[in-house]
Amino acid sequence: MAMDGMSTSPAGLSFHNGSDFYPRKLGPKPDVVPSGVTERKVGAVDKPDMVAVDVINFQDSDTPLHRKKQETDTYVLWSGPPWTLTEQGTIHPFRKTHKSFLGKFVQEFNLVASDRRSWKILLFGVMNVICTACLLMWCNSTNSMALTAYTYLTIFDLFSLITCLMSSWVTMKKPSQLFSFGFERFEVLAVFASTVLVQLGALFILKESVERFVEQPEVHTGRLLVGTFVALFFNLLTLLSVKNKPFVYVSEAASTSWLQEHVADLSRSLCGIVPALSSFLLPRMNPFVLINLAGAFALGITYMLIEINNYNAVDTASAVAIALMTFGTMYPMSVYSGKVLLQTTPSHVIGQLDKLLREVSTLDGVLEVRNEHFWTVGFGSLAGSVHVRIRRDANEQMVLAHVTNRLHTLVSTLTVQIFKDDWTRPSLVSGVLPAATLSASDYGGASGFLPPASSKQAEELDPLTSTPTKPSSPPPEFAFNTPGKNIQPVVLPSTHQHRPYNLGLAYGASPYTSMLNQGFTQPGGGLGVGAGLGMGARLPSVQGYRTSFSAAPHRYGSNLLPSQTSQYRP
Amino acid sequence: MDDKYSSNVISGGKLGRVEVPNARLTRYIVLLLLTKMLKALGIFESYDLLKVVHIVQFVFILKLGCAVILLFFQKPFSTGKMVAKRQWIKILKHAVISSIISLLGFFGLTLCGPLRTLLLFEHSDVVVISLLSVLFTSSGGGPSKTRGAAFFIIAVICLLLFDNDDLMAKMAEHPEGHHDSALTHALYTGIAFLGVADHKGGVVLLVLALCLKVAFSTHSRKLSVEIGGAKRLYALSSLVSAMVLLPWVTVLSATTESKVESWSGLIMPFVMIIFSVMILDFYVESICTAKLEAPRSARYGSIFLFLSGLLLANFWTHPLTDQLRAMSKPGQQASTEHVLSGGVLVSACFFILSDSILSSPSKKGQKGTLVGYSPEGIPLYNLMGDALQHSSQSLPRFIKDSLKQILEEYDSRQIFYFLCLNLAFTFVELFYGVWTNSLGLISDGFHMLFDCSALVLGLFAALMTRWKATRIYSYGYGRVEILSGFINGLFLMVIAFFVFVESISRLIDPPNINTVMLAPVSVGGLIVNLVGICAFSHAHSHGASKGSCSGHEHGHSHGGHGHSHGHGHSHSPGGRGMNANMRGVFLHVLADTLGSVGVIISTVLISQFGWLIADPICSLFIATLIFLSVIPLLKDACEVLLLRIPPEHEKDLNFALEKVQKIEGVLSYRDPHFWRHSANVVAGTVHLQIMSDVVEQRVIQQVTAVLKDAGVNNLTVQVEKEAYFQHMSGLSTGFHEVLAMTQQMESMKYYKDGTCIM
Repeated sequence: MAMDGMSTSPAGLSFHNGSDFYPRKLGPKPDVVPSGVTERKVGAVDKPDMVAVDVINFQDSDTPLHRKKQETDTYVLWSGPPWTLTEQGTIHPFRKTHKSFLGKFVQEFNLVASDRRSWKILLFGVMNVICTACLLMWCNSTNSMALTAYTYLTIFDLFSLITCLMSSWVTMKKPSQLFSFGFERFEVLAVFASTVLVQLGALFILKESVERFVEQPEVHTGRLLVGTFVALFFNLLTLLSVKNKPFVYVSEAASTSWLQEHVADLSRSLCGIVPALSSFLLPRMNPFVLINLAGAFALGITYMLIEINNYNAVDTASAVAIALMTFGTMYPMSVYSGKVLLQTTPSHVIGQLDKLLREVSTLDGVLEVRNEHFWTVGFGSLAGSVHVRIRRDANEQMVLAHVTNRLHTLVSTLTVQIFKDDWTRPSLVSGVLPAATLSASDYGGASGFLPPASSKQAEELDPLTSTPTKPSSPPPEFAFNTPGKNIQPVVLPSTHQHRPYNLGLAYGASPYTSMLNQGFTQPGGGLGVGAGLGMGARLPSVQGYRTSFSAAPHRYGSNLLPSQTSQYRP
Repeated sequence: MDDKYSSNVISGGKLGRVEVPNARLTRYIVLLLLTKMLKALGIFESYDLLKVVHIVQFVFILKLGCAVILLFFQKPFSTGKMVAKRQWIKILKHAVISSIISLLGFFGLTLCGPLRTLLLFEHSDVVVISLLSVLFTSSGGGPSKTRGAAFFIIAVICLLLFDNDDLMAKMAEHPEGHHDSALTHALYTGIAFLGVADHKGGVVLLVLALCLKVAFSTHSRKLSVEIGGAKRLYALSSLVSAMVLLPWVTVLSATTESKVESWSGLIMPFVMIIFSVMILDFYVESICTAKLEAPRSARYGSIFLFLSGLLLANFWTHPLTDQLRAMSKPGQQASTEHVLSGGVLVSACFFILSDSILSSPSKKGQKGTLVGYSPEGIPLYNLMGDALQHSSQSLPRFIKDSLKQILEEYDSRQIFYFLCLNLAFTFVELFYGVWTNSLGLISDGFHMLFDCSALVLGLFAALMTRWKATRIYSYGYGRVEILSGFINGLFLMVIAFFVFVESISRLIDPPNINTVMLAPVSVGGLIVNLVGICAFSHAHSHGASKGSCSGHEHGHSHGGHGHSHGHGHSHSPGGRGMNANMRGVFLHVLADTLGSVGVIISTVLISQFGWLIADPICSLFIATLIFLSVIPLLKDACEVLLLRIPPEHEKDLNFALEKVQKIEGVLSYRDPHFWRHSANVVAGTVHLQIMSDVVEQRVIQQVTAVLKDAGVNNLTVQVEKEAYFQHMSGLSTGFHEVLAMTQQMESMKYYKDGTCIM
């Protein structure tokens, strides 16, 4: 459980908490601190899951610290927090690591090699190198372009093995200060680089083939067939026995290559004749297996035609064919990984994202969502940032919490900036109210939830959540769509039933107006109402606030009303 | 007819196109078969006839005979409505074009022989239209159509390349030998101008004529409706074209002496050709199209035609030729006929395959765009097709627009000019190589083309960089140039690798090098590349003075020169001098220059001292140099792509973060992410925890200002108070979130408590 938690983004958080904030906080930190756990248990009795959280939390914050120590051996300066860097002086961290590039590489390699699973990859890599060397020699002796093109596929297998090693290295690394998003991108870059390299190789083959069309040299068939089968065997062995996570992901996520489409089309019509083959032929073919088979097929034809008719030009033609197939297979993958590298929004999540953003923009107080940037960090995990413009009287923290809550289901690394127009200008009510109350009331939302100094005692009793103190409203179920349940407990205590028609208005304005009242009349009671609103009224807010939004102009238009309402209320 | 419609389509559960069973249509198919065989026979015969009869006369006779018969059958003047004067003009145009097409077709026949003409020219409109739609539109109709198009192209290429026909080769030897008229002479010179070898010119000509024929028949459909039926139009048009050709024929027969000795012996063959090629084929085709539906009749028709053509080509002994020849000039060139070569057989197979694929109606139907879902949950498609929505841009306009775009900005302009220069040099080299038949020059030209691809990539990237941000590319396309720089770096690595391998193999076994042509070519290449280096290093300095200054730059920069430009706004601290794309292009040019220099040096060494080993050593050296010069580019591009903190901003950012800590009310921060998105966008996100009585917007403003000074110009700050964590812990459904939040709160609380106590 705890390890699960570590592998994803919260681990990064805990790591920061544990290491980054402790040393600095130690100075001003009082001596009462570490007992927070027991305190919290008292406070959170009625929330059983919170207890569970605490226990794990403790274990959790222990492990990353430990892990971090391990890392500091390897990255003396990297993982340190920025201020330690600058305080320690002028040592530039990158230059430092750059100096011992080879040593660092060996160290990382040892890190990877310590894992038993990567041994197999290394073994296959060595085999691949031997096989490639052999094939290149045969290419030279047969003088066959097609075999060279096919050998490049073997070299591509070597790249994919390297990518595989890299992906296992990536899983061992934690985000450092320089690579704050973690090292998952290395995987993407490796996939991109290897697909692009093999395409460049294919381009080279094309160029050579065009030159050969001008003057066709003779091709010796002696080792041609042997080379083909050796390469095919090794490629298939590597493909099928090494579990290559990044390439499997990319080949499934990228759009189909034209080779795959044609094979699918052919096999569909074949299945029309022989239905028994459908289970074998109809699913999506692995593109690498496909191109290996197709290349071997082309080489077989080449061999046959050269043996029978001495058509040497067929060799060049099949080299062109293999090169084109390589392009066709690799192009969708490099497009996919290139799009990840370009920080684009993946097109398959756009629908979901739009839905979420639309939901966010209908939250109460939200006027506009803009500058939305969403992109994938590695293969899969989304990161994003968004600016949300809100109404001037809306509660920033509440909107922030809601927006984050909505988007967090899809976007794991999320940053939301809330902004208000003209926040320096006091709100419209200031003309009516004296300036002294403004400081408390203008940002009343926030202070409503965390009543300032006056309610300090109450808060110290229950420092974590303001909710449990309020016995009348149990921890809300957060049913957005069933407002009735939540409306009831809050409506009754704060506003009296003599204005039923104005429910929405009273609600929408309540974090503001009620605090206004409390600022005047009863500071002590602020906690109850504020907390009640904070947890209870937050959720009906979609309905409540929306009506209040439409009703607000009336209210502000007749700007005497606030004071009147405040008089109405006890 | 009744049977066809009586079958209940809906209850059969099979919607869409209904295939009528073959049994009911057997007679039509047999009819089609007979007609096509006759047509093939007619074509073979007309090939023989064309050896003696001049082509214009031949076409004239065909049109005239056709018109006479059709006038007799159709009676276009006595039946139907009157033809207006305007329509006569249209018919005249129609007739002129149709006679041009038949002239072209029969000229192709004289060049290629009957079988190849059948294979190339006799495709139905359906096939050609679907072929063109696969080639030139995006919605071709699935992979099977693409396959069909590929087969078609392979078949044509087979005819072009692998068809070693004796007669064609002989004709190629004397292309200017025996031209009967101005027309054929013009066509010959046209073919020679195209640069295609002469005997292949016929193939190209026929393919062009085929496209023309299809376009023509598609356009004339409207006219045929206007006139009142395709048959009536056909009759009138052949009459008019006969009249159009009449003056030409009279002039011809007056000026040139005819090869034909007795026209009476040719009457029977002419009647046969007119009947089989012009009349019967037309009528049967129209009937079968009505009964069998167009795709099916096209498929059967072309298969029958090709098969009978193959049969005839095997067994046809040219009786008429012999007869004619016996009449005219006995004993001259006995065995110069088009033979049935392997290439023709293969291409015939491919043509049959591609015709049957291309003419089959696409199973999926039209490609509709998903509109939405019906209340029952069935997807609804808009089948109007893309063709209506796309407003296709005309080609010249497109070229003009893109040229304008390219020339707008400095970088792309430089690349474009240099690309043009490079291409010009390459083509001069290639042409000269072909002219002098020097393989070394040709291969060097291809090498240059290969290098040009890097320039094209850079040009595209420079163009794309300026595109507006879209939904998917939310930060804009600026990153494309970094990716392109990365790809160019990889490209150079590959080149260096190949040069390295090549030079090692030469080191072991140094080949003898012919140095005669090398020196001038490499000097030319050097000059071109030097121009490029000047241009791009200037581009660099320009860029440096425009966008950013100061900073570490790789070794080839002309930094000092750059600063003298001084455009006033040359202060974005620590940017890199040239963008990655331009650096990649520059390195490419540099590598080429190095290559030329190496070749010159090794040429001198070899010719002066006979050191053959100098060449591989030079290449080794160059490969190493290229490799070393690429590494910084690759490293920088990788850092950007991997979202590393930009190294030139690193220190500033650390200071800035420290400053952020000291802002009043800020407790701490977490998840600081800063990365360079593109050359002029440094993005960042950070989460701040602040005390609950501080105004968020003020903190945001201050933090933004501080980080902007550090170079971050696309910032998102999330400001969190304790209330946020309380909300989140209440809201959050996930376990991990609660975990993270509580920890976060803990850290906040400590600090808060501390301040409270103090």
